[in-house]
Amino acid sequence: MAITIAVAPFPAQFSRALETAAAPLLFDSDFLAKLEQLYLLSKKLFRGAHRAERRSRQIGSSLEFADYRNYTLGDDLRSIDWNIYGRLDRLFVKLFEQEQDLDISFLLDASASMRWSPEGGNRISKFDQARRIAASLAYIGLANLDRVNVHFFASRLEEDLGLCRGKSQFHKVLEYLRQAPGLEGATHLSASLRTFSQRMKRRGLVFVLSDLFDPLGFEEGLALLRHQQFEVHVIHVLDPLEMRPEATGDLRLIESETGEAYEVTASESLLRRYHAEVDAFLQKAAAFCTEHGIGYAQATTAVPFEDLVLRVLRDGRMIQ
Amino acid sequence: MTFLNAWAVGFAGIAPVIILLYLLKLKRRPMPVSTLLFWQRIFQESRRRAFFQKLRQLFSLLLHLLIFALILGALAHPTFDRQILEGASTVLILDTRARMQAVEAGGQTRFARAKAEMANVVHEATPMRQMALITADATARVVSPFTDDEKGLREALAKTAVTDAGGELDGAIKLAGELLRSRRGERKIIVYTDHPPATQPAGLNVPIDFVPVGTPRDNLAITRFATRAVLNSPQTSEILLEVANFGHETAKTNVELSYDGRLLDVKPLTIEPGGRAMQIFPTVPRPGNTARGWLTARLDTTDALASDNVAYAVLPVDPPKRILLVTKGNWFLEKLLGADQSVAFELLTPDAFNAALASKFDAVLLDNFVPNGFDLGTATGNYFFIKQTPFNTSGPAIDQPLITDLDNRDPVLRTVNLQNITLLHAAPLAVPKDGDWKWQTPIRSFEHPLMITGERHGGGRRVAALALDIGDSDLPLRVAFPLLISNTLHWLAGDEAAPILSRRAGEALALAPGETVRIDAQTPWKKSTATGPPAIAHDIFEPLTNGFYEIQAGDGSHWMAVNTFNDAESDLRAATATPETSSPALPAISLARVTGWPLWQYLAAAALLLFALEWWLFHRRQTE
Repeated sequence: MAITIAVAPFPAQFSRALETAAAPLLFDSDFLAKLEQLYLLSKKLFRGAHRAERRSRQIGSSLEFADYRNYTLGDDLRSIDWNIYGRLDRLFVKLFEQEQDLDISFLLDASASMRWSPEGGNRISKFDQARRIAASLAYIGLANLDRVNVHFFASRLEEDLGLCRGKSQFHKVLEYLRQAPGLEGATHLSASLRTFSQRMKRRGLVFVLSDLFDPLGFEEGLALLRHQQFEVHVIHVLDPLEMRPEATGDLRLIESETGEAYEVTASESLLRRYHAEVDAFLQKAAAFCTEHGIGYAQATTAVPFEDLVLRVLRDGRMIQ
Repeated sequence: MTFLNAWAVGFAGIAPVIILLYLLKLKRRPMPVSTLLFWQRIFQESRRRAFFQKLRQLFSLLLHLLIFALILGALAHPTFDRQILEGASTVLILDTRARMQAVEAGGQTRFARAKAEMANVVHEATPMRQMALITADATARVVSPFTDDEKGLREALAKTAVTDAGGELDGAIKLAGELLRSRRGERKIIVYTDHPPATQPAGLNVPIDFVPVGTPRDNLAITRFATRAVLNSPQTSEILLEVANFGHETAKTNVELSYDGRLLDVKPLTIEPGGRAMQIFPTVPRPGNTARGWLTARLDTTDALASDNVAYAVLPVDPPKRILLVTKGNWFLEKLLGADQSVAFELLTPDAFNAALASKFDAVLLDNFVPNGFDLGTATGNYFFIKQTPFNTSGPAIDQPLITDLDNRDPVLRTVNLQNITLLHAAPLAVPKDGDWKWQTPIRSFEHPLMITGERHGGGRRVAALALDIGDSDLPLRVAFPLLISNTLHWLAGDEAAPILSRRAGEALALAPGETVRIDAQTPWKKSTATGPPAIAHDIFEPLTNGFYEIQAGDGSHWMAVNTFNDAESDLRAATATPETSSPALPAISLARVTGWPLWQYLAAAALLLFALEWWLFHRRQTE
């Protein structure tokens, strides 16, 4: 029988931190143990603020050998490589890498389109899915002593959580995710990401969790982040029914973000055209990310959450 | 062009609904979606063509209206007039004979049931299924010619009434065959009767359906009811009554005889099954001059057919003959005429006689007197000369003539016995040679005529001459004398032209010029059946209802009784038993056989083509 409530060392209250009627957020102990084994991948090396477990370009005192240099006065005699002195009769000092922490930011699209869920469906909303993914990745980051921050955005970037470090801060992260504000207005991804890049002084790993439904396009904002030396991962959160709608007949479609109505007589052929448009959009997003060195993964609400985190994101080279 | 289903035009009221549905905005199902991004991309091109979309909508509306109009036209079933002639023709024959008045076990008459059954068939009359209506009793009558007017047929059917007449159905079936002879297409005869004929008329190649509407019933009927004057007693009459039992059980009943509404006699009757009882009522006094002479017989019973439980008869009513006696004084003649109630005489001396007076009397009796310058050819009136006659010859008188020849068939000698009459003298008479007259010599003495009677050819005038001097014989002392004088006077007055007193219902009666009859029958219980002005028959009178009819003539009127008196009508045992009757099958309409496709099929095909076009234009892409 599966255990649905987290056990020590994961505090029990964490398992209910994001639990809502619509989106229960339950992490069992096995799943959390698996998360602790994972590691958020970053292709680039960033300068950290504190000593941690992540490699950096700084020379420090870790066990990871970095290089040799000539001995100079004042160097610690314990760092001299006596074996080299024996062979070459010259004094060299062994240099070790400095392991530092990493700034990891989660940008969650909190627009109305993310909160939409199909009529009569029993699946969780895209926003809940995104929150669960963010919580899982944040736990991985915290477990690896990285500094984690969470941002919500819709038409603009909201106030963030603030940097958190260590697993003890996971409760704070969960509480922040649980109290996510209900943002209104159309999604404006480029403006939000521009604000983010201006606000963040240190570069790091950025996870954008969004459906990318920006009428003005998603390309500009993502390209800006990439240009600002952030390592960006896009987790494209989608619902299967918005990718493959099934309703036919005379419909009055009401957009969740703007309330705009659109009258459609949906037929099989029209739905096929819709599918083609969606497929083109997804291919375009994937191609753009690949082209700009941005990690890209689709996370539909139909995929079980554990599979999504343990398999899909791993396949997308976002975690290891 | 005729629309067979004109009621379909009523569906035209749906057309505004179609337009209204186009004008009304379609109520669409609201559905929240996460984004309209993709829908807008799809319809970005369509919006540019919004104007053409509106035109497409208008075109769609026009197409739908056109399809609707075509369907409406097809439903209305338009047909060329020449096609209507090819439709089915049905002749409905309704039996209106007296036997159809019989009441069935349910209390409904056979005629009412037949009308109800026929009404169901009449309801299906259409231009493609025209019908004619014939009634059958003593004669066949076309009540309604071939028509598609269902309402007219129903009204004609409602006006039909059962009669008291008997008859056969063959005449009506033959008439129906004649009506159908000129009709093309399917034909049929449907007869509504309680007793179909055993055989059908020969040479009739039209199928006949009989709809039986009666079950066998017992019945008691008056089959004869007649009167006649007693010859030896002109003031009395004899009445003959015959009652028949057309049943399976012995019938006991009373027969009531009434005269002018007053009960005259009641006689009990017991009649074996299938038997008859005959009753004679003798010495019924003849009516006075003011009486109508209505005689009715009624059976005190309740059976299936009530109309034959009553019979009508008229006692002969003889108005007194107007006689002018011209004599210088004849005690015998004056006493004789005064005692005879059948005559009303006036006495005149020869000096006062004027030839113009003769036309005011039925007969003029001239006793030993011949007017000066009397000319038989120019004189008016009927004359009876005694002793002196215009036919006397100049020869010597005949002494003690013997009556050797008597023509007992002559009306003047009816019941007259002239044997052993003693005559002293007789004037010699000579029969005229005038070819315009028919002369008879009913009394002769060898070659000498003692009495001459003459009647002008073509009727109108009569003359008689008796060459006897009454005072020179013992004739006035004999019974024969008043009989001879009375017979002669009545013959001169036209007594043998007795009026027709009785007729069977359905028998045609040719009326003499000037005679008229009110068509509605009267009885002691029902004075008149007519609600409006009485209908008058002038030439031919065919009574169809039992009762009394007054025949009006120029110089008076007399009554005539009409009865059924037909064993075939009263015998209800032969009816065909039909507890449940199903409606007959009407002939099929076969237009295509003659004229190809009906017009409505073309309209329906056009509607189908337009429907396919509309689908191809507006729905094909969405359903491919």
